[in-house]
Amino acid sequence: MNGWILAAALVLAGGVGATLWGVASGPLRRRVIAQNLTTALACPALLLLAQGYDRPSYVDVALVLALLGPVGTLVFARLLADELTGDPPRAWGATWAVAGLGTVVVAILCAVAAPGRATAKLLVTGVLLIGGNVVASRALAGGFGGVRRG
Amino acid sequence: MTDAVIVVALLLVAASATVAVATRDPERQALVLSVLGVVLAVLFTVLQAPDVGLSQLAVGSAVTPLLLLLTVRKVRRRPRRKEPPP
Repeated sequence: MNGWILAAALVLAGGVGATLWGVASGPLRRRVIAQNLTTALACPALLLLAQGYDRPSYVDVALVLALLGPVGTLVFARLLADELTGDPPRAWGATWAVAGLGTVVVAILCAVAAPGRATAKLLVTGVLLIGGNVVASRALAGGFGGVRRG
Repeated sequence: MTDAVIVVALLLVAASATVAVATRDPERQALVLSVLGVVLAVLFTVLQAPDVGLSQLAVGSAVTPLLLLLTVRKVRRRPRRKEPPP
C-alpha cells in the first residue's frame, strides 16, 4: 500500500533471507556472523514497518531488538569461544554495510518524522543498533583478547 | 503490499523453522533458533501484535540460546570430571 512497507519487505526478503541461508549452511564461524547480521537487518525492517503502519509505538519492538540482539550475539561469542578462537570470524565488510543500511534508515525516518520525542527514540534505537552490532562483531573477531575465556 | 510483507515473514518463519528441525548439532541449532525468534517477532509485528512480538524477542533472541548453550556445556563437561586421575 505504501513505499515504507515495500522497503521493509525488500529488506526482510533480501537481507534476512540471505542471513537465513548463511546461518543454515557453512562452518560455525559463518553461522555466528549471519546470526549477528540477522538482528542488525531485522531492526531497520521493524523501523520501516512502524513508519509504514503509521504506528509510532511499534518502534518499541525495534528498540528492544536493538538492545537484545547484540546481547544474544555476545552469549554466542562467550560460550562458543573455544570453537572460535582458532579461526575467529571476521566480516567487517558485511558488518559495516549493514550498519550503513541502519544509519540510512534511521536518518530517513528522522527526517520524515516530526521533531520531538519520536526523533529521540529513533536516534537512541539507531545508536544502540549500530554500537551494539559493532561491539558484538568485535567480540566475535576476538577483539577483546584481555577478557578471561571460561 | 500489506499481504506481501505477511507472505515474506511467513516464508521466513517456515524456512528458519525447517532449518532448525533439520540441524543436528545443538550449538548450530541454537544459532538457528535465535534467528527463528527474531523472524517470529517480525511476523507478530506484521500481524499487528507487537506486544506478543516484544515477549517473543525477549525470550527468543537471547534467553533460549543461552539456556541451550549452557545445557550443552554442562552435558559435555560432566564425563570429563568423572575420569579417574592419571
